Amino acid sequence: MKQKKEPIKNWRIWVVLIVLFVLSVPWYLPTGSYEPFILGVPYWAWIILGVSLAISIVLTYILKHHWHMTDEEELWEEEEEQ
Amino acid sequence: MNDLAFSGASGIIIMLFYGFLMLLIGFITYWKNKGLHQSNKEFYLGGGNLSVFVLFFTFFATQYSGNTIVGYAPTAYRMGFFWMQSITFFILIVIGYLIFAPRLYVLSKRYQFITPSDYIQKRFQSKGVTLLASILMLYGLCNFMLEQIIAIGHGVSGLTGGTIPYQAAVLFFVSVMVIYGWLGGMRSVAYTDTMQGIALLVGVVILLIGSMVYFGGLPSAVEYTATVSPEKLGVPDSTGLVSWFSMLFLVMIGAAIYPHAIQRIFAAKSEKSLKKSLSWMAWMPFVTSGFVFIIGIIGIQAFPGLSEGESEQLVGMMANHIAMQNSFFYWAMVILFGGIVAAIISTADSVLLTLSSIISKDIYATHINKHANEQKQILVGKITGVVFVVILMLIAWYPPATLYRIFILKFELLIQIAPAFILGLYWKRLHRHAVFIGMLAGTIIASIMVFSGLQPLGVASGLWGLAVNFVLCIVLSYVMKDSKTEVEWLRKGIS
Repeated sequence: MKQKKEPIKNWRIWVVLIVLFVLSVPWYLPTGSYEPFILGVPYWAWIILGVSLAISIVLTYILKHHWHMTDEEELWEEEEEQ
Repeated sequence: MNDLAFSGASGIIIMLFYGFLMLLIGFITYWKNKGLHQSNKEFYLGGGNLSVFVLFFTFFATQYSGNTIVGYAPTAYRMGFFWMQSITFFILIVIGYLIFAPRLYVLSKRYQFITPSDYIQKRFQSKGVTLLASILMLYGLCNFMLEQIIAIGHGVSGLTGGTIPYQAAVLFFVSVMVIYGWLGGMRSVAYTDTMQGIALLVGVVILLIGSMVYFGGLPSAVEYTATVSPEKLGVPDSTGLVSWFSMLFLVMIGAAIYPHAIQRIFAAKSEKSLKKSLSWMAWMPFVTSGFVFIIGIIGIQAFPGLSEGESEQLVGMMANHIAMQNSFFYWAMVILFGGIVAAIISTADSVLLTLSSIISKDIYATHINKHANEQKQILVGKITGVVFVVILMLIAWYPPATLYRIFILKFELLIQIAPAFILGLYWKRLHRHAVFIGMLAGTIIASIMVFSGLQPLGVASGLWGLAVNFVLCIVLSYVMKDSKTEVEWLRKGIS
């Protein structure tokens, strides 16, 4: 049986997520700027897209490896069905 | 919009086709699950047995509506790159779930929760708190439903340039939705969500391809925007940034705490399927709101200088233009059209089912007729649900101009139940009176601010209400004392 893991109890997860949340809004870039264009799109759009991608990657990782709450009861049910 | 590509016939054909398909799914579900109408768990949660694929699509349909296309493309058109926030806020909803779903899922299976109020009753053991939360949810859900009904009318009449009248579209699709909802409950809602979600995804992709081919790609639209309205490309100023942050926060908490979203946590077959569908959800914003954002920006070049009201028809104009090019795109746009309508209905059906479940369990069975069996509870939920829908349809008969404002209004109220979940699940000291006062104060403050149009510092009114709500919950809980037995179950239930 795997050890129980609850995302809310893991402070590291939240540090990473809060940092990414804060970076996902372009407050740290000069107001009104949009050049240079990269592949025809304002540079800062790529930064925001990059941060958003990072959030999705981190979330996928957390969901896979840091959330484990139910015990074998459920696994047993699943096996039974198969 | 005189030269319409969608003549009445093809519009009506696709409308009937989608309607028929949904009804078919409803009937099949009904035949295959005869015992469905005897038990709340079967009817409202699909037996708590939804597997990854279906669960994912029903989450998807709950969060993404037709409005994600019809309403968000015009928003990108008006706001420019500022609207990139729509990609991020949909991802953040998964963080919202991460805050409470893992624990709530375990509790829901252990204590057989059907509605969000079941959790609230179990946690706080207070009829007052449960009733207040139920009323708030009902009110928020009604607004939500109203928005979806209006969106059906706007979507259909916009896409056909008014060939199919707003009212006819509303009447037809709402009837279809009510019928398959009656027939199969959560199961038919989830199965139709799957069909509707696929239609939406296909539609968005084809619209994006079509607009890139016929209106020029994103780079050329950006180049054009730089000459006519460069402010749509620039990094927003401080007011814009604050409203961006506030929107992210509002959607992150608000959309995860939707009553119908919470019910989907209860409906999951296993923790594994719940985790898997949520991790798929973390990737969907790129291909839905992300693509729609690009479509809106392309629209700036395709249809320059539209007023706010005119821009609401942007998707219809673009689809019409693309459809006129050749027969491939003509039929592709017909599919898109169906996909948009299907997406709206798939959101509305989830809302309707949750609405009925709250009426069945939390209002009727708890306060009106305590001895009613589950079959009767379900019947009352169904009938009252229809009454609500009819009233909302009357309100929606002459629609308000833009969709954006009513979209905000439901969040402001639904979000007030957040402390009961986010604090209540983890903080044993949280007192029921504190929750009640916090929820009530938050609601009143948020409502007053919405109606008077107050948004101090550019932060959404709902968030101000929520902040007051949280502070009251925490401060009053320290003042009040809770009896030990009250929170004993929570300790036992979790650890």
